[in-house]
Amino acid sequence: MNARPLMRLRLTTAATEEIGPTPHGMLSIFPITGGSFEGERLRGIVLGGADWVTAAADGTRELDLRVTLETDDSALIHMTFAGVLDDANHYFRTLPRFETAAPKYAFLNRLLAVGIGEAHRDGPVHTIEEIL
Amino acid sequence: MNTRLLMILRVTVATPQSIGAVPHGTRRTVPITGGDFEGPRLRGSVLPGGSADWLLLRADGVLELDLRATLRTDDGGLISMRSFGLRHGPPDVIEALARGEAVDPAAYYFRTTPRFETAHPAYAFLNHLITVASGDRRNEGPIYTIHELL
Repeated sequence: MNARPLMRLRLTTAATEEIGPTPHGMLSIFPITGGSFEGERLRGIVLGGADWVTAAADGTRELDLRVTLETDDSALIHMTFAGVLDDANHYFRTLPRFETAAPKYAFLNRLLAVGIGEAHRDGPVHTIEEIL
Repeated sequence: MNTRLLMILRVTVATPQSIGAVPHGTRRTVPITGGDFEGPRLRGSVLPGGSADWLLLRADGVLELDLRATLRTDDGGLISMRSFGLRHGPPDVIEALARGEAVDPAAYYFRTTPRFETAHPAYAFLNHLITVASGDRRNEGPIYTIHELL
């Protein structure tokens, strides 16, 4: 499979909301307070959102993120991803999807992408590549 | 992006059910009648019961695919697969596909992101894999080459 860089996304998070044990596992909500993204074709800031994280019995966490991005030329982009965070195996991977009404960024509506996440002290960083 | 081959999945399809114009586009459901899959770590067949691809042609010309299939490995494990995908390309290529002509899959974008669920211990590694697939649309049914994202 071929891919090309789309963006590096940095997220800042607020205190976790621990919902606790639900029928699907331990649910934690990570509010996203901001951040930034940068790539060859787009850059800007993160307006906010959250990541709904469910820990399975085997310790693996399933991620379900929604955020709004604002480009440096004021286009809004709705971004979501499903992902997996398996600390034991250092596996932090996501499947981002994008929706926008801005013609300049309409290419985002037509692509699938993968992300490689890294946990940093000030929040996660996702290196996102377009699947070619 | 580092990947390794997980499997090649061939599904066979029945006549599509054209639902028609719905609020988000034009909807078509394609029943999956069977098929097979093979890779270094697993192989088996596709069960027809709960398998289909729910297609939505959007106003921007992009086809969204929402496939669900049940796989049965050669040692009896059942695996539930779901994949979201996109298919689009130049109008003449998409028209050729619609006419049932053989088209080089490099001429259009057909990518999906399969996820798997299983209770079978031998295949538990599938539960937490992120995978990507490239599709080759054939008349008898699509062929997906599925890679695990490492």
